Amino acid sequence: MLNISDIQVERVNVLIAGSGAAGMRAAIAAHDAGASVMVLAKGPARANHTRMSGGRYNAVSGLNPMDSPDAFYRDTVESGCNINNHELARILAEEAMDRAYDLESYGLAWDRKVPSEYVLSMTGGGSFVRTIGSADEGIGITEVMLHQLYKRGVQIRDFHMLIEVIRDDDHVQGVLALDLAHGVWRYIECGAVIIATGGTSQLYETSSGPTINTGDGIAIALRAGAELVDIEFMQFIPISFVYPPSARGYTLTEPAHYGMRHYDPKAEAAHLHNKHGERFVLKHDPVRKEGSTRDVLARAIMIEILEGRGTPEGGVLMIPDPQVFEGFLRERPIYVKRLLENYGEGQARLEAPIQVMPSALYTLGGVRIDPWCATSVAGLFVAGEAAGGVHGANRLGGSSMPDIQVFGRRAGMAAARHVGATDRSQTSGFEAARARANALEAPLRSTGGLRPPEVKKRIQKLMWDNVGLVRSGDRLEDTLRQFRELRDNVVPTLTVMGKTRILNREWMEAIEIENLLDIGEAMISASLQRKETRGAHYRTDFPAIDPRWQANIWVQKLGKGAWRVEKKAVAAPTALAGAQLATAGAAE
Amino acid sequence: MTDAVTMEVKILRSSPSEGVPSAYQHFTVQGTDNMRVLDVIRSIYENQAGDLAYQFACRIGRCGTCAMRVNGVPVLACQERCKLQMRIDPLSPFPVVRDLVVDRTEVETRYAQMALTPAGPQSNARVRPIAPAVAEELCHLDSCLACMVCVSGCPAVEEHAFDGPAFMLKLRHMQEHPADNGDRLGQALDGGLLECFACDACTQLCPADLSPAQAIRDFRRDMIIGSKPK
Repeated sequence: MLNISDIQVERVNVLIAGSGAAGMRAAIAAHDAGASVMVLAKGPARANHTRMSGGRYNAVSGLNPMDSPDAFYRDTVESGCNINNHELARILAEEAMDRAYDLESYGLAWDRKVPSEYVLSMTGGGSFVRTIGSADEGIGITEVMLHQLYKRGVQIRDFHMLIEVIRDDDHVQGVLALDLAHGVWRYIECGAVIIATGGTSQLYETSSGPTINTGDGIAIALRAGAELVDIEFMQFIPISFVYPPSARGYTLTEPAHYGMRHYDPKAEAAHLHNKHGERFVLKHDPVRKEGSTRDVLARAIMIEILEGRGTPEGGVLMIPDPQVFEGFLRERPIYVKRLLENYGEGQARLEAPIQVMPSALYTLGGVRIDPWCATSVAGLFVAGEAAGGVHGANRLGGSSMPDIQVFGRRAGMAAARHVGATDRSQTSGFEAARARANALEAPLRSTGGLRPPEVKKRIQKLMWDNVGLVRSGDRLEDTLRQFRELRDNVVPTLTVMGKTRILNREWMEAIEIENLLDIGEAMISASLQRKETRGAHYRTDFPAIDPRWQANIWVQKLGKGAWRVEKKAVAAPTALAGAQLATAGAAE
Repeated sequence: MTDAVTMEVKILRSSPSEGVPSAYQHFTVQGTDNMRVLDVIRSIYENQAGDLAYQFACRIGRCGTCAMRVNGVPVLACQERCKLQMRIDPLSPFPVVRDLVVDRTEVETRYAQMALTPAGPQSNARVRPIAPAVAEELCHLDSCLACMVCVSGCPAVEEHAFDGPAFMLKLRHMQEHPADNGDRLGQALDGGLLECFACDACTQLCPADLSPAQAIRDFRRDMIIGSKPK
């Protein structure tokens, strides 16, 4: 057993896990509401998913007179196949623009052609031109936010991995974290925890997100007793790079794919061909064709690849439109450079066919939250990709950026308010933290078991093949059996090659594996229950949408091997959002 | 399209906090010629040295956290094409945590001290007018990855009291921002602006295709003829 002195104890009002935009926006809001705040980053703070984003941002700016918050809300719910949490979707539509203005006040400059008007463009699934952006993309967004944290003196702890939320019967007490750079355990007492650790794209063999997005926070919230909602829905981006190995799965941004449609909703998107030169998307969506939603396109491409009509490298061919090259070069120069380096000059000039493949992009479901990001565990808040409900069964392109700003701020405000309203002594969680830390030291002591990277790859392959774009009852059942087998027989003997405590990547991966298995099992359980096809969830044995399944699935972990998977009615549309807005404005 | 290759790689390993001194470890890696340096390192971690410490996250040149030196040249490992013979060192002149991972504490403290936030109201829900050309330039300057490749490759940093090109670029970003009212030229001078001897190495090395050297030239021009009014 670890000694008491092996765990360093600290104290803060609001503990935020995650250094992407949701976590940083929460930190700004919580700090400005008077709370002391600490942000944990699993790697260096800049290693986050927001930074990798194209930064395209859906908001109703007033510049397109056809558009309105109501239209944005309706697009969100339509894209989400009517199972979104309607209240969350409405809040997103109504608050997105104010948060875009916040970003500009932080130092960002949205693209414009005249001084006070932003440039608008289309993204996947939207019915109006409403998306703003900036040429510095996710890099710019995260940079200006990071400097706002510095200005406020918010503590940022690099290389601190969230391990577990510690709670008693009725409230969060603190968190156990592993300081990877020093190999030291920390127990951080706090009045509120905000999980903003992003999604779980690393469950899949090919993914576009950063390597640290192993869904830690989602699994930790699940183990702390919170419910997951819509966790069966994983969004795959249809258009990503196929090679070289490091770039495989990285998003190839939408202008190249949308062609002139990027500017004009009536124009055609770039055609997609299989190796026989067939426009296979027409079989799946003869109306919208290649301008269809991301879920339809990703699945169509995956089926071509799985059925042997893909390229030898494992992709299909996108025929780009050279007309958009100049605009693409101006708006997204970094992608032109990537195309040039990865593929060649013809592809970079959008003159030669570009190999593309789908890739795991965004965890649509996540921890169930209320409009103020509170979970069913008192003191535990969740925002951003780790939360579920905003996007339902599928997400509009350009909606993750406003989501993480809008709900990041709400989580920060609510957590600060929560801390102010409770006066608790938190020291009782220490022993639980110590026991957990002790158990997680096992791979450092163990010999003869499998290495964590090997097991992680096995999980990623199983998820990609069976719990990805194309699913069926048999294969889901079989994968669940294999996961349980891994959990029972392989995980307990995981062994790391090096026994150092300092930046031991294998040890970190051993800890991630438990998180991956928890979310994987939740995802499979919900996917098995949902006997239909909807949005990002496609069952070959139930290929049609079923109106009886216009419902959510909640998943709760009851204990070792025991799960509650329940069908729940969709949270009804509500007119409350206006009142919520007024409250939000008054509180800041 | 891709050819199989055999690479000879040596990596400088150390663990200062555990008293493990620096020493090169040699690896032979079978791969393809389109691999990036990061792919080679990941292959070594997965197949030969599970205890190798290295840092990366995005693998596509955006997070800026995988900077290291390959055959003496500072690069992002995820962007640099592999070579048949590689000597890989942690990014100098920064302190090493372990193997290829450096401690950025001082770097981040420096950024924090520079107060890189524009002034003005923080919650006014209105468009702040910015000339389109200025907005474009702001976006350009704000795409610095803070990867420290230019700082590592700057001969002036090595020899003089100079913060380094990346910091000059960030100060220039603020200088160009219409809502900023800080004395950015003064900060740049305090950070060693005049120590730069205009070799342009930073611009050649920048993985984001930025020109810190131009930011430095702009500040020097401001010194002589004064800056444009905002």
